Amino acid sequence: MTILIALPKGRIADELLPMLAHTALALDERAMKSRVLCIPTATPGVEALLLKGSDLPRYVAGGVAALGVVGSDTLDECEVDLLELADLQLGVCRLSLCALQGISLESLRRKPHLRIATKYLRMTRAWLRSEELTAELVPLQSSVELAPILGLADAIVDLVQTGSTLRAHGLQEIQVMGRTSARLVASRGAYLSEPGRIAPLARLLTSALLKP
Amino acid sequence: MEMMDSHGYQELRPSLVLREPVEEHSIRFFDEDHLVALRWDFTVALARMLLRRFPEPPRRISYAGDVFRRTAQSWEPMEHVEVGCEHIHLDPADSREVDVELACLMMSLPSVLGLKGGILALGHAALLRRPMDAEALPKALSSRLVWALERRSLHRAAEALADHPAAERLLAHAETLLVEPDGEASLAALGHSPYAILLEEERAHLQRALTALTPLLPDNLILRLDLADVKGLDFYTGPTLRLWAPGAQQELAAGGRYDSLFPDLGRPWYAAGFCVRLTRLLDLAETRPELFETE
Repeated sequence: MTILIALPKGRIADELLPMLAHTALALDERAMKSRVLCIPTATPGVEALLLKGSDLPRYVAGGVAALGVVGSDTLDECEVDLLELADLQLGVCRLSLCALQGISLESLRRKPHLRIATKYLRMTRAWLRSEELTAELVPLQSSVELAPILGLADAIVDLVQTGSTLRAHGLQEIQVMGRTSARLVASRGAYLSEPGRIAPLARLLTSALLKP
Repeated sequence: MEMMDSHGYQELRPSLVLREPVEEHSIRFFDEDHLVALRWDFTVALARMLLRRFPEPPRRISYAGDVFRRTAQSWEPMEHVEVGCEHIHLDPADSREVDVELACLMMSLPSVLGLKGGILALGHAALLRRPMDAEALPKALSSRLVWALERRSLHRAAEALADHPAAERLLAHAETLLVEPDGEASLAALGHSPYAILLEEERAHLQRALTALTPLLPDNLILRLDLADVKGLDFYTGPTLRLWAPGAQQELAAGGRYDSLFPDLGRPWYAAGFCVRLTRLLDLAETRPELFETE
């Protein structure tokens, strides 16, 4: 039976796919250029699925894919039962509270009605609880930087890699709330019921992707 | 149920509606002014029934029926059909014999359920509980550590323990527990844990269990040691067993020793048992028929 590995499209894929080239899990380039959904790898019986990050955990938790690579931010935003075998240290970002230049955390704390725009609702709620703060959360999916500029929110919570996008919009990081990175995940059932098949593949992926 | 009847287990039927709606995943509603819950678990429901109706516990109990739990995902079923058995005893010296009896029943499950084969994972709840207690880990931190190990995630455990003075010891121990599920090699690794002396008794217990159960294994069953089985750590106090079918997404049966349940309710009784998740079994039969015998 074919083993499927779910790999994310987008930012993490840009780092990850070149690292898999020339390994036993290198993706078939011809298939990559076509519209096929399951891409063969250099190992017979192992295929890759390229999925949107937010969908990926469900494919692994549901056992469709035995293994996967996904950002910890995505994992922390959804409640799915899967195993998280390694921190691959790819796509490392900070999850930060950001606001317009000149605004401090203290001034936000003093606001009687704080509004925070974010895509990361669960993580933001957890941070607010730990800080004993209350805020109205404004759910946004993209271009979150616009929210404080246009007055939709007082601050945003977003992933920050270099900070250049923030600076370009006149924003600053005022509190680092956590660190996110790509994680190797496994389907609980596949890993625990067939460790002989899945664990060697997990080791192969880790050694190919984990920077020394 | 036939298998359990033949081994002297007497069926009891606890109520489907419980007046102790404490479990957060239970489905709760008001009956006039009283908050009640649909039965979410047989063991707890049976325990309360036994306390009310039996001054001395019946030793062998079986059950079958529905339980209802709220789910994280809207598409997951809330109703589950379960069958199981419990063995309650008054003398802790009987524990070993009871555990072997229940393990033998679980080992016969693949054949009874029509599975071609299975994997029985043996764990022990005290392997993590005792080091956490020894280090006086606060409840919130213990919960984070258990959550991390449930995900087999050493880096999450490291995040959780970051500033704790015992972080280095606990992480070294977590690394020992997270060896791939195996047989005696995992047990040998446990000897190198910083808590090896503290866990000497548990290690000896697992060794005895492997020695006792291995010769009794049917041909279609593999016995594996899974030291990182920390699921249900608040409930289990001793050895645990989980039955998997190769490639199945969820365990088909699970059980173990839970010696704190009855003392917490005021009775000095010891108990162990297991439960077969029939809903999962039926799902598996539909999605993976090749895992089942055809006749």
